[in-house]
Amino acid sequence: MEGQEKRPYSDAAFMDSKQEMDLLVSKSLAGREVKPNVLFANLEKTTKALSSGMVKWSRKNSLWPMQFGLACCAIELMDFGSSRIDAERRGFLMFRATPRQCDVMIVAGWVTKSIVPEIKRLYEQMLSPKYVIAYGECATCGGPWFESYNIMKGIDQVLPVDVYVAGCPPKPENLFGALVKLQKKVGGEVEV
Amino acid sequence: MRFDRYEDRANLADALEQMKAKGFSYLEKITAVDYKDHMEALYFLVDIEKNENELIKVRLENSSLWLPTVMELFKSADWYEREMAEMFGITIRGRKTERLLLEKWDGIDPPLRKSFVWGQEYRNREQKG
Amino acid sequence: MQITRINIGPIHPSTHGVLRLIVDLDGDTIEKVEPHIGFLHRGVEKLVENRMYMQNHVYMEKMDYVAPLAVDELYVATVEEAMGIEVKERAQYIRTIELELQRIASHLFFIGTLCNDIGNLFTVFIWCFADRDRVLRLLETATGSRMFYANMRLGGVKQDFPKGFEEDVLDCMDYIEKRTKEYERFLEKNPIFMERMKNVGILSSEDAIEYGISGPTLRASGIDYDTRKNHPYYAYEKASFSTQVLSRGDSFARYKIRVMEIRESINVIRLAFKKMPEGDAIGMPVKLVPPPIKKNEVIVRRELPRGENMMYMVADKKGPYRLAMRSAIFVSMAALDHIARGHKLADLFAIMGSLDFVMADVDK
Repeated sequence: MEGQEKRPYSDAAFMDSKQEMDLLVSKSLAGREVKPNVLFANLEKTTKALSSGMVKWSRKNSLWPMQFGLACCAIELMDFGSSRIDAERRGFLMFRATPRQCDVMIVAGWVTKSIVPEIKRLYEQMLSPKYVIAYGECATCGGPWFESYNIMKGIDQVLPVDVYVAGCPPKPENLFGALVKLQKKVGGEVEV
Repeated sequence: MRFDRYEDRANLADALEQMKAKGFSYLEKITAVDYKDHMEALYFLVDIEKNENELIKVRLENSSLWLPTVMELFKSADWYEREMAEMFGITIRGRKTERLLLEKWDGIDPPLRKSFVWGQEYRNREQKG
Repeated sequence: MQITRINIGPIHPSTHGVLRLIVDLDGDTIEKVEPHIGFLHRGVEKLVENRMYMQNHVYMEKMDYVAPLAVDELYVATVEEAMGIEVKERAQYIRTIELELQRIASHLFFIGTLCNDIGNLFTVFIWCFADRDRVLRLLETATGSRMFYANMRLGGVKQDFPKGFEEDVLDCMDYIEKRTKEYERFLEKNPIFMERMKNVGILSSEDAIEYGISGPTLRASGIDYDTRKNHPYYAYEKASFSTQVLSRGDSFARYKIRVMEIRESINVIRLAFKKMPEGDAIGMPVKLVPPPIKKNEVIVRRELPRGENMMYMVADKKGPYRLAMRSAIFVSMAALDHIARGHKLADLFAIMGSLDFVMADVDK
C-alpha cells in the first residue's frame, strides 16, 4: 500500500464508529470556528436522563407480585402481605391471581415434577419485563427433600431466577430485604 | 393396640362383615408393610361408642400379591386401597385400580418396596439392615 | 340435560394449596366433583426409612404446616413408646400448653382464609393474621422459632419456659378472648356470610362415620368423639376439659365449632398454668447411639387441630423400618364428592373452605 497518503487518524479510533464520527465532525467544525451551543447540549442530556430514569423509577416502585404459594412458605408470604410487615408501603401491592397483570413471580414451596408444565405456562403468560424470586430453601436447591424421587432440585432448573432467599422458612423481614435488592436491580443501580 | 390377629385372604370379607356387625363400623386406615420375603396388609378398625381398637393383618406371599376389595362395606376404603395399590404394587380385584398420587411416572418399581433404592449417591454411609 | 366439564386448575387463589378439581356441571348445578391430588407428593414414608430416629422431625413438621408442633409431638410420642421412656411431669404440662397455643393459631388461620374465600372479606383476614402473629410471638419466646419449632426431645422438651412467660400468656389470652367476641359479632350479622354458609354442605352423622371423618367436622355433625377425652394423654384429665358438639352438620356449624374450641383452649391454658408443678423438664439430648428398643410395633393417636392423626411404626435398631401415617384430611377430600352434589358452583368454595384442608398432608 505504498503511495497512499498517511491517514489522519489512528486504527483504534477507526474501530469505534461513534468516536470516528465525533472526530470527523470536530475536524470539520474546527475550520468554521463556531462555538457549540451549551444550552442545547445540556437539554439533550437532561431529557434523556429524565425519561429513562423516570421509567426506571416508576417500574421499580410498582412491582405487582403473583400469588404462587405452593406449600409452607406461602403462609409466611401471607404474613408478609398483612399488617405487621406491610408489603404495600414499597409498592408491592395487589397480589393478583392472573399472570397478565403481574411483574414478579414469587415461587414459595417445593416444586414437584407434576406441576412443572403449569409453572412454565404461567411464566410464559407474564408480560416482560418480568422477574422471579425463589423464596425459601426448597425453591433454591430442593431443600430437605433433596433425596426424593418426585422433586425438582430448585426452580432454577426451569426458570431464570433473580433473587434467592435462604431459610426454612425465611422470616418475612428477609423477603422484605430481597424486595429491596430486586428494586435496586430494576432501577439499574446494581451491575448485573 | 389391644387385639392383633392374622386372617386369611379368603376369609377377609366375612371377618370384616362380622366386625362391622359387632359395632366396629369405622375403618381408620388400610396400609401394608414390606418384609423382604413376604408382605402384610393391615386393616385398622375402631368402635366409636365403646372406645376400642382392633388391627387385622393379612399375610401375602411375594408370588401372589392380590387382595379382594372391601369398598362395599366401608366407603372410606376407596382411596386407601388406591394408595396402597400404587405405592406397593398390590392388585385389588373387583375394581379398576387407577393412579392417585404420581403423575407421569413411567415404568419404575412401586416406590415403597424395599427393592426400590433411590438416592444412594447422595449418602456416604452404608445402607442399614 | 347437557353436561359441561370444567377444570379448576392446580393454581387457584381459593384452593388451599395445589389441587385440581374436575367438575361436571349441568347449567350451574354440580353433578360430580373429582379431585386430582398428588402435586405435592414427595414420598415422606420412603425418606423416613433412611434416617435415624431424631433426624426425622424435619420431615414430620412439614406435613401439616399450619400446626407443625402437633405433628412433631405425635412422632416423638411414637418413638418414646417404642423405647419405653416416660415424659417428666412438668414437661407434660409444658407440652399441653404449647399444643393448645398451636391450636389457637391454627383456628385463627382457618377463620381468616375462610372469610377470604367467601366474599373477599379481606378485613377479617388482616385481623386474624395480626392476632395470630401475637400468638406466634409467644411461641417464639418459648422455643426460638416462628414456624418450625424442633422443640420436642425424648422424655421432655428442649428448653423450659423463660421468666415472665406466664404473665405474657395470660395477657394475650385475655386479648384473644375479647377478639373472638368481636369476630362473632361482626360475622354473624353479615348477610353475605350467613347466606353463603347456612344449610350449605350438610353432612349427616351416619355418613360421617361411613367415610371415616374425624375432628371438628365429625363433632359438628353430632357425634361426641374427641381423642383428648376418650384416650386422654398429658394434662388433659387434670385440666378439666369438655368437648363441644353441634348437631346441624352444615358449613356454619363447622365454622362455629372452631370458634368454640378457641375458647375451650383458653380455659385449658389457664387451668394448666395453675396446676403446673416445679421441677426439671428437659429431655434427653440427641446422640448417635439411641436407647434400645423395647416394643417392635407401636400405634399412637393424637388430636390435631384438623382431626385425629395416627402413626403406626415398625421399629428397627437405628431408625424406623416402616412408618405409616394416617391424616385426617385425606378422607375429607374423598368425601367432597358426596357432600357437594346438588349444590351450585359458588357453594363449592364455601364447602371447601369449611372443611379446612392442607394439601401437604393429603399427598404425603
